[in-house]
Amino acid sequence: MMAQAVNQPMSQTAMRGKLNSAELNAGQRLAVKYFSVAIILFGAQILFGLLAGLQYLMPEFLYNVLDFNVNRMVHINAMIVWMLYGFIGSVYWLVEDESGTELVGAKLANLAFWVLTAAVTVVVIVYLLVQTGPGEQKSLWLINEGREYIEAPRWADFGIVAVVLVFFYNVAATFMKGRWSGISGVLVLDLIALAGLYLAGMFYSPNISMDQYWWWWVIHMWVEATWEVLVGCIMAWGLIKTLGARRKIVTTWLYIEVALMFGSGILGLGHHYFWIGTPEYWLSIGGFFSALEPIPLVAMVVHAVYDSGVHRFKNSNHPALAWLIAHAFGNFFGAGVWGFMHTLPQINLYTHGTQWSASHGHLAFFGAYATINIAMFYIAIQKWRGDVFMGAGIRHAWRWKWALALLNIGVVGMTVALLVSGYEQSFVERALQGSTWAGYFEAQRGEWFVQGMFWRQIFGYVTAAGTLLLVWDLITIGKGETRPAEKPTEHQAQAQAA
Amino acid sequence: MSKTPWWADENVWRKTAIWVTALMLVALILLTFDSVAKITAGSDRVPAYSVINHRIYYKMDNDRNMQVPVIGGQAPLFGTVLSEEQAQAMVSKGKMTVQAKNCMNCHTLLGNGAYYAPDLTKAWLDQGWGAEAVREQLMVNFLLDPEANARGYGTTRKMPDLDITEEEARAIIAFLKWMSAIDTNGFPRNFKPIAQEGE
Amino acid sequence: MTDPVEAQQIMLATMAGALVVMFGAIYAALFAWSRLRKRPAWMPAAYLAYLCLAVATIVLARSLHLSGFWSTVVFVMLFGYLLAPHAIWHLCVGTHESAHKTADTDSRNPLNGGQTNE
Repeated sequence: MMAQAVNQPMSQTAMRGKLNSAELNAGQRLAVKYFSVAIILFGAQILFGLLAGLQYLMPEFLYNVLDFNVNRMVHINAMIVWMLYGFIGSVYWLVEDESGTELVGAKLANLAFWVLTAAVTVVVIVYLLVQTGPGEQKSLWLINEGREYIEAPRWADFGIVAVVLVFFYNVAATFMKGRWSGISGVLVLDLIALAGLYLAGMFYSPNISMDQYWWWWVIHMWVEATWEVLVGCIMAWGLIKTLGARRKIVTTWLYIEVALMFGSGILGLGHHYFWIGTPEYWLSIGGFFSALEPIPLVAMVVHAVYDSGVHRFKNSNHPALAWLIAHAFGNFFGAGVWGFMHTLPQINLYTHGTQWSASHGHLAFFGAYATINIAMFYIAIQKWRGDVFMGAGIRHAWRWKWALALLNIGVVGMTVALLVSGYEQSFVERALQGSTWAGYFEAQRGEWFVQGMFWRQIFGYVTAAGTLLLVWDLITIGKGETRPAEKPTEHQAQAQAA
Repeated sequence: MSKTPWWADENVWRKTAIWVTALMLVALILLTFDSVAKITAGSDRVPAYSVINHRIYYKMDNDRNMQVPVIGGQAPLFGTVLSEEQAQAMVSKGKMTVQAKNCMNCHTLLGNGAYYAPDLTKAWLDQGWGAEAVREQLMVNFLLDPEANARGYGTTRKMPDLDITEEEARAIIAFLKWMSAIDTNGFPRNFKPIAQEGE
Repeated sequence: MTDPVEAQQIMLATMAGALVVMFGAIYAALFAWSRLRKRPAWMPAAYLAYLCLAVATIVLARSLHLSGFWSTVVFVMLFGYLLAPHAIWHLCVGTHESAHKTADTDSRNPLNGGQTNE
């Protein structure tokens, strides 16, 4: 597959710097569609986040028109869906390359894309215009299910499952026709788990404890297990392709990380079962496995340092690499540091259900998943423009650098501001006031809380500015660039380490 | 290749990954069988729906070092004693309304949801309703017209009008009363309930 | 087992938790860097970071009122985190060893020697 890249005809110089879908294989042409919708939904996430944030400061704003619950629902749903679009796109991007053959069922895959996109559009329009319904089954089937993160109405659940099955068929059949590798093996098994887990969220129960028990199977097993492994597969492929890392090593390390992540993450689910009516043994199980969850991160730190010294990588896509570095730090701080801060039950009893969770959520989702998807967008646009030069000295480099800076400063700023509010809330509401409604509102009125919310909004605007700049950069980067991309080469440094 | 020590071998780690994942999954499934039995309505931790016919108290359990729910004497919701089936139907209607009105994207339930409005886990027992005798009516009034009966405690935040019917409002209250009797391992911390008869 | 932290110690406990993970990473990074660059003079800095990790862990464990069985778990974990970078370093060397030693065909074009998995 690398030989393929090297042997690319040089006659394409004329097309370089222009969007040229002929440069892409069928999977990649589909991928850029998914990426385009992902970016639109990313914009929607930011927009509705700003509206919801503003309502903390001005509760009258859009009251009874576009209430907080609607804005917040669109904010988090747009996030989940754009990340899934990014993942699906990333897998389509690499599937032909990794399998060494053409995408199986490309027409069906295209149809599935349009069906899914149409369904997402209808769901969002219903969220915004119908908003809520009467307390009957048909509201859950047609309007929204009212369960955080997986609010999509039941009809859409079936649509999502159908589309995911098509996606799974495309990917698995392509690997079957072509060749399997360690990466594709992990990827396909992970996709089965990812799709299967969604079914755990597709039923109604009057019992809120039962409801939340299975709801966490979907949410936790997605974001703290299967999504992480999916990202691991994409990273593994990316390391081989863009840095020329060796497949055997990358694959071994993918297995090591899977063992560490699933080893700590599956029962790490226990940290969501402290307070929902589930038995007390979850306090011990959840606490213990949460303490193990930083281990995969420590492994990544050591391995990254080792790799940087043993190999001198020449990188051909600077914005993508910068976003991958942001991913490494974001994942470490968002999931590792911010997670462990309040995950143990003796602390979580105060922080659960306060702005602490919002603080952790903002940094972790951004650091672990937004960053890697943005890196993939840059990898895609480079190829789409005819494999153009995107190394040092690229034109208008300030755009991607400022987009990177603004987005990271914005999200970190929001995270810290929410942490200040969260601390005040857990202290005043829980510790001092006995967790009553009066205590809740006393905390919400507190000066530290209000200040935190104010600064969260300011940093929200910074994030929004970064997003706009990012979109502008993705549309324009490499336009008119005639230099070809540098080929990824790996120079073996002296094996000083032994 | 022969130089690779066995503990750094690709195949060894592939098998390790598979075994670790399988082992954890089996452990989770076994725990799930146990937990699901213990959170089925009618168990010690999650009471039967007919608990809405009774008064619900909280008391400190020194062995467990947390407050635990106690089911007291008869105190039927809206003055009507319901059978188990009727109670389940009413709580279910309330739960469905809570979902259909998207309450979870402002409130938290059992601490999960959004943080724009107070936690509903023990809303039934909140001191904010003043006295036990007027609680049910105040709750109905609030749900039917949240703007006129806003309870912002000095903030301008108020619940929007969600077109809740009286039947739905009563069902929501049944759901909230039932939820307040779930044993949540002491969450939320330090909860101070409303004063009730017979304490 | 839940003996929640004192209200006054919420800040202390959360910051200790954050520092545990931070120093864990600093220890791992300094350890790897010192080995990689063959600068043993830097190794004490790595162990200093580990010492900070240990202090943060003990502060955390005390504020969480951990005792008996759970104190043992904490010490086992502390020991585990001490050894983890060593083990992972060995793993790095071990996994990369195979690539150094094998012929160019295998390493340059990984699929030549790649095994099929499923």
